[in-house]
Amino acid sequence: MSTSIVIDHLCRIEGHGGITVEIKNGKATRVQMDILEGTRFFEALLKGRIYSEVPGIVSRICSICSGVHTITSQLAVEDAFGVQVTPQTRLLRDLFLQGGNIESHALHVFCLALPDYLGYSGAIAMAADHPDKVKLGLELKKIGNTVQEVVGGRAVHPVNTVVGGFGKVPTADELRQLRNKLVEGLDLAQTAVDFVASLETPRFTESPTLYAALRPADGSFSLLGEQICLSNGQAYPIHEYRQVCNEFVVPHSHSKHSMFNGQPFMVGALARLMINGAALNGLAKEAAQRLGLDSFTENIFHNNTAQVVELVYSLEHSIQLIDELLQAGVKQEKPVEVKVRAARGTGAAEAPRGILYHSYTFDEQGRLTSADVIAPTSQNAANIEKDMRVAVERLAGEPKEVLAHKLEMVARAYDPCLSCSVHLVDLTNG
Amino acid sequence: MIVKPKIGIFGLTGCSGEQIVILNCEDELLDIAGAVDIRVFHTATSDNDEQGPLDIAFVEGSVVKPEEVEVLKRIRKRAKLLVAIGTCAAWGGIPAMHNELSRADLCRAVYGGEGECFETIPPQPLRAFVKVDYNISGCPMEKDDFLRAVPMLIHGDLPLQPAYAVCTECKMRENECLLVTRGQLCLGPLTLAGCNARCPSYGVACCGCRGPVDEANVASEVKILQEKGFTLADIHNALRTFAAPAQALEKELSRGITG
Repeated sequence: MSTSIVIDHLCRIEGHGGITVEIKNGKATRVQMDILEGTRFFEALLKGRIYSEVPGIVSRICSICSGVHTITSQLAVEDAFGVQVTPQTRLLRDLFLQGGNIESHALHVFCLALPDYLGYSGAIAMAADHPDKVKLGLELKKIGNTVQEVVGGRAVHPVNTVVGGFGKVPTADELRQLRNKLVEGLDLAQTAVDFVASLETPRFTESPTLYAALRPADGSFSLLGEQICLSNGQAYPIHEYRQVCNEFVVPHSHSKHSMFNGQPFMVGALARLMINGAALNGLAKEAAQRLGLDSFTENIFHNNTAQVVELVYSLEHSIQLIDELLQAGVKQEKPVEVKVRAARGTGAAEAPRGILYHSYTFDEQGRLTSADVIAPTSQNAANIEKDMRVAVERLAGEPKEVLAHKLEMVARAYDPCLSCSVHLVDLTNG
Repeated sequence: MIVKPKIGIFGLTGCSGEQIVILNCEDELLDIAGAVDIRVFHTATSDNDEQGPLDIAFVEGSVVKPEEVEVLKRIRKRAKLLVAIGTCAAWGGIPAMHNELSRADLCRAVYGGEGECFETIPPQPLRAFVKVDYNISGCPMEKDDFLRAVPMLIHGDLPLQPAYAVCTECKMRENECLLVTRGQLCLGPLTLAGCNARCPSYGVACCGCRGPVDEANVASEVKILQEKGFTLADIHNALRTFAAPAQALEKELSRGITG
């Protein structure tokens, strides 16, 4: 007996994609995450551009991840030209990334994923019966956006963060006001932890999983790091990211897939907790314990709860960063001057959905000659299909609509960002 | 019972920026959802009406896939008002920057031979295919522009666009001139106002993300920039970034290609 499930338009995710599954005698003969977002060919748009224009263009790959695309791009440019930014810039960038993490996680957990757990079609429908939950999510989301506005000048496609530093450094007063909001946010996030702890996490995709996340030299829990760590114990410097992401084209998707030694892997909040979770402290550590994420799990649905732990982490860490900035005294620094040269540079950062890589080469005038961007969702695509295959085989007896909805939940748990996954830039061999 | 206006929020190819700006109206979102009947919003709900009539369709993104032409025409047919949101929908945006290049070559460069099955057309703004009643440009659109426009559009009014450039807003904020004083490649004099000179107020040159203002004096801007020492190639790169298909810029840009 054979049956097929085709979901043309997967909702409550960023971008355009679907799912195609074929089942024969209880075995999945075909499992595809179809990513059919239109192709924009960013490489053609970047070639010949002066280095300073590059971050503003690649930011437009994706709106939700525009902040982390901008910073990663700036890290790659600075790596190429040997630019050392000031400690203040490093702190402000970290703060800015935390804002993006808060905004994105709050949107995903409360508006996109939670309706599945409570049985609604979306957050607006859910708000009729659970206004407190939706308002909680929106309040947290707004705090993340406020961080991005104060530091980056805009919540989507930031304007104030530039190669070498910032156009205008936020004032001590602005940072103090922001800190007050973050403190309020930390209370809200605790409420979120209590609520999410009461939800049951589905387990039907639990299966062996390899994780990858960045780790900084000081071993702290961070959205920035110099090493790519895998949960099998292997590690690579970020310049060798191609060793981890061996990309290949699949015909059903405008996104390339990545495998590590022929094995799919997962990046994102859950991967970060599984690899660096022991480095968490304070309220974030308590949240991880409460949500059962202080021990190893191979259940992708824990990515939703891992994002809640990270909401606590990002709020707590943002407050610490502001304290550090204020203690050192905020200085109106100009961006560090750049001396261009023919060179290649690579940058990496943890986007809300996992590791993001940008790598560029420039000629002696500082014009871009080649670019390579690998976004988290293209790294996750093969693992999403692995998890959907497991789900299909375990749930083969269930009615088609039930199975279809559960497959959507699997895809959604990854918080996929299809604009990012497709519009990767690839002019390698440069 | 009051019949609420039916609204659809659609995304063609793009970064979802305008849909995210709508979701970023955290303080107003639930009020908006109470005042109108949101029939379509794939990014936010799984319960979408794909057929019925709409009072207003908000469409973001540019047209990049052949089937998007049909999708757009179907949206036009069911909507009383069609509003292009964001610079991609209004002007073509970043994806339309280099429409002179062959799509087939680009496809092979990114995906190799395996990518030949992916169909794509040169990215175009919505008005290349359907009648557009109103544009809210910006990359992304300003949240305030959207929040101001919604109640007016519901009543069938089209909000007035500023008839002046970002440069005027920048002067009103008394910012130091980045173009004249600091010699930066600032597109403020050519760009439609409405952002309150957001970038120059951070000391960052305007990159033209809102598209050209009516009667933009492109030739004069190019002349000043050349006097400041910028090459024609760099000036053209800046001009083409967000609104290459715009008539106001097309003439200047074609000069670069032929000359």
